[in-house]
Amino acid sequence: MASFVYNGKTIETDDEGYLQNLGDWDKGLAEVLAKQENVELTEKHWKLIEWIREYFQKFQVAPAIKSLTKEVMALENLPDKKEANKFVYELFPEGPAKQLAKIAGLPKPTGCV
Amino acid sequence: MSEQEKTKVMFVCRTAPYGTIYEQEAIEAMVMFGAYEQDISVTFTGDGVFSLKKGQDTSLLGKKNFSMTYPILIDDFEISHIYVEKESLEERGLTESDLATEVEIIDRNTLKQKMKEMKALLPF
Amino acid sequence: MKFGILIKEGPYMHQAMDTAYNFILAAMESGHEITGVFFYNDGVYNRCATLEPPRDERNIMKLLTELELKGVRLIVCVAAGKRRGIVNQTVCKVEEISGLGQLLELCITSDRTITF
Repeated sequence: MASFVYNGKTIETDDEGYLQNLGDWDKGLAEVLAKQENVELTEKHWKLIEWIREYFQKFQVAPAIKSLTKEVMALENLPDKKEANKFVYELFPEGPAKQLAKIAGLPKPTGCV
Repeated sequence: MSEQEKTKVMFVCRTAPYGTIYEQEAIEAMVMFGAYEQDISVTFTGDGVFSLKKGQDTSLLGKKNFSMTYPILIDDFEISHIYVEKESLEERGLTESDLATEVEIIDRNTLKQKMKEMKALLPF
Repeated sequence: MKFGILIKEGPYMHQAMDTAYNFILAAMESGHEITGVFFYNDGVYNRCATLEPPRDERNIMKLLTELELKGVRLIVCVAAGKRRGIVNQTVCKVEEISGLGQLLELCITSDRTITF
């Protein structure tokens, strides 16, 4: 358990920095969470954050890494999976599934990437 | 990996949703297994068919609505087949149009044959 | 024959773990191999380190630890465990905690996977 103050409110996270209360999330908090991960959010990051939040809301589970790659190929007009993988690792160098979930205010993925 | 080298595993979902955690943790396993390039199928039989019922609203239960996950199991999580036992649907007054996702409806005898082809069955 | 074992129920409330235990012993005595025991759902409670049944009752945790000493691999699902508080600090042996991939591995490497 850890916590920090954001907009006058105490935000609790687990030891790895995932939100305890997913309802705390807003765009400003995403910036703070990103900073903790040493990630500077650009428009490209935001597109994926919005996509993964929508996906989670709609289907109740976090996407497979394969779905993330497919989405990136479509969004960024990339020719293949390899390029798409390279692209997401540039955005989220410490592991896209983990960092994206954390910054987007989703639960910690139970998978391994 | 060639089709012959893949291990055939079938989840057999037999319990209605929400009363127990079986459905939820079965889905968590299905979603994980998808990543391992095996031949994974999912079958709904008995009260398990209620998990697929359209129009579920779990907001007052404070639980996640997993009927929303089934439609993406095949495309996003590499599940090979979703089967529903015909007799189980009929016994509960349900038809294909009551279900939240596309499935293959098979009769009890066909299901028996499919089960025989499996290396492992995982009942939930 | 190689048997993989899946345990879905917790101790005492259900007979599942007792039956599985007897099955495992009988299988081993008959010369079969147990590829592993995977604890899922409430099954993870069987590996809770603080179980302390009355002394005149069977101690399921100890029976399982004896199996482990005989070389049976015990695997506690990390996700199911976390949900129920069976984590590094509360599990019998930290090394037993692993992912769902291990259950699939059991299905692949066993001639039969038996669920209790």
